[in-house]
Amino acid sequence: MAPANCEKCKLTRALVIRSKNFQKLCKRCFIFVFEEEIHNTITTAELFSPGERIAIGASGGKDSTVVASVLKTLNERYHYGLDLILLSIDEGIKGYRDDSLETVKRNAIQYEMPLKIVGYDELYGWTMDQVVEAVGKKGNCTYCGVFRRQALDRGAKMLGITHVVTGHNADDLAETIIMNLLRGDLPRLARSTNIITGDKLSEVRRSKPLKYAYEKEIVLYAHHKKLDYFSTECIYSPEAFRGSARSLIKNLERIRPSAILDIIRSGEDIANLISEELSNNSNCQSQKKTQASDHSYEEDIGGCGGFNKGASGGEMILLEKKLQENEKAVSNGTELFSSLAITISQNNITEKSKVALSSTKKAPRKHFRQTLGTCVKCGYMSSQETCKACNLLEGLNKNRPKIEVQIDIEDQLSPTVRKINSSVLAPG
Amino acid sequence: MERYRVRGSKSHIPKKLLFPLSYGPSSSSLLHILDGHLQGQYERMKKVAYELVVVHIDLYVTEEDREFSARKLEQFKAQYPRHRFISHGLEESLKLKEIDWNALGISRFSHIGCPNGKLQHYLASIKSPTDRADIVIILLTRLLVRIGINNSCSCILFGDSTTKLAEKTLTETAKGRGIALPWQICDEASAYGIGFNYPMRDLLKKEIVKYVSITPCLESLIIHEQVASISANPKSVTINDLMLQYFQSSEEDYPGIVANVVRTASKLSVASDNTKNCCGICGIPCCLNEYTSQYSHQPLETTKLAERPGLEPSFCHGCVKLISR
Repeated sequence: MAPANCEKCKLTRALVIRSKNFQKLCKRCFIFVFEEEIHNTITTAELFSPGERIAIGASGGKDSTVVASVLKTLNERYHYGLDLILLSIDEGIKGYRDDSLETVKRNAIQYEMPLKIVGYDELYGWTMDQVVEAVGKKGNCTYCGVFRRQALDRGAKMLGITHVVTGHNADDLAETIIMNLLRGDLPRLARSTNIITGDKLSEVRRSKPLKYAYEKEIVLYAHHKKLDYFSTECIYSPEAFRGSARSLIKNLERIRPSAILDIIRSGEDIANLISEELSNNSNCQSQKKTQASDHSYEEDIGGCGGFNKGASGGEMILLEKKLQENEKAVSNGTELFSSLAITISQNNITEKSKVALSSTKKAPRKHFRQTLGTCVKCGYMSSQETCKACNLLEGLNKNRPKIEVQIDIEDQLSPTVRKINSSVLAPG
Repeated sequence: MERYRVRGSKSHIPKKLLFPLSYGPSSSSLLHILDGHLQGQYERMKKVAYELVVVHIDLYVTEEDREFSARKLEQFKAQYPRHRFISHGLEESLKLKEIDWNALGISRFSHIGCPNGKLQHYLASIKSPTDRADIVIILLTRLLVRIGINNSCSCILFGDSTTKLAEKTLTETAKGRGIALPWQICDEASAYGIGFNYPMRDLLKKEIVKYVSITPCLESLIIHEQVASISANPKSVTINDLMLQYFQSSEEDYPGIVANVVRTASKLSVASDNTKNCCGICGIPCCLNEYTSQYSHQPLETTKLAERPGLEPSFCHGCVKLISR
């Protein structure tokens, strides 16, 4: 077969076959088309407004590096008028995060963007190395995920920025949709399909410009533009924890590459089919934006190189146990009705039991609606009285045996007092 | 099946229900159960609340397959003599006027060749195995609707288990037909004006297989399906095969998750807008998602669609791939 020419410019030899639609393109046209598609996504969703300050969540990995590169290019080409800043979170993992942060520092120089690094030890008093020492490797991803989500928002607030851009791509989103279908979490599925979470009333909004970009094409784009990125995975999250939803997505992509976009389309349509009772859409200004009351699953993915630690086999086991407990609760409720019916006279047992059971079936189920509030400890948004990070932090602090003096670490302490506490804790 | 009890039924004329029989474990088990159900009704009350019209649709080409299928139907008829048994070939779907055959590239009005050969030629021309499986299921469903209407049936009873419905949920999601899930999973109303019921919706496939193994007369009748496994050749695997294999393994370890998928899909409500526009191929109401549809589409196909001036875009997202290119 003779080498094909680029479908777009017809001049150069095609080097890239897009997995989305099997289009054959040369290097320059592929880069251009990739950027144009993201531009279309941005303009259609009206993600940005002129003069806005944008924080790019930068981990040094390929997704955040590509989103930074594309945003810089489009900001110059189409004059968005954006003020772009790189925002990195230092989890405190030696041998991994310090190396990836070196990559982000080089990116900041290459892209001429300011860089802000926020550390876990600065916000919480714990590094992930210390957390792993305390709780072991098994459950540390939960701590890291909860801390990082909050850290990104708090870092943005430090800079006075209300809009954070993440590098979640189409593969991540398709995986989220499948996983939320398996979990039966329709409100979260609806929120995760929105390209931007939160509205202008929220403190910090998040958007995903790479929502429709395939992971394979992100790698190709980074390769052809010779972008500098860090590709080692988190040392506390080995590859063995890849989730079943992820492998399902990859198998689907192999069978039909467009399945990833098809799943996203289905997710968007399903979000429209969810009744208002189940979702928080009635509180929104428009259907495109959803109030962000809980990010716990949709932001789990893609944070450390795209592996989904939350959807490991362990989570499937936990979900199964939870569902079985729910089944028991439902059947116990039914038995209560049955035992109550026995107290009725013998002649009426059959009919009244049936009536009671049928009325049980017909009674509308009450759906618990999450309402956005603030944590009483740190003021971060939470649907509970205290947010997840503060709960985890309290558990960690209680188990800290090295502290000789009982000092209660408060997140809202002033920097001066925090330094004093840090010096006291240093010997431990 | 509560609405089909004899007691309290004010109608003296039993309702007709179409019953698709695939000779598999699920539909055969349901036929066995309903036959006993009707037997009990008749013995107690001397009347029944419903009647079954059992239909088998032949999907296969060769004469041997047709003869085998005819013999199998005779066996079922001998075992359950109370019901009316009919048989149709999938090629009869070519007579359906509701389907936009021009978009599929089939000239159904030409008299060259027999219908079966024409259908097989069309199916052979489809390059993607997933697309081929997709169109077969669509034609099968629409043919069943037509047969049900022609036989004055008020409802179609499917033998779909929880596992099957979960497979269908994820398969249609992966094909971009999330908008169609309420029509395809929920009981009662369907998009075609005839009721769809899934009496086995709360049973796992493995439970049905166990039931068959302890029921001697069923064991010898049915055709056991092979356990799904992903073949080494990715080019011959369909999305349906992948989901079948996924949920067969899921229901062994995590049966609650399989049931959870079906419960989740059952919570969705049908889209209230634009029910006037129905897809020209699968017939399910589809509303154009103005916000994202132009970007979820493949740019290549969008271009080709735009090049057809006379073609109205009345196809759902999943069926756009089936349109001839």
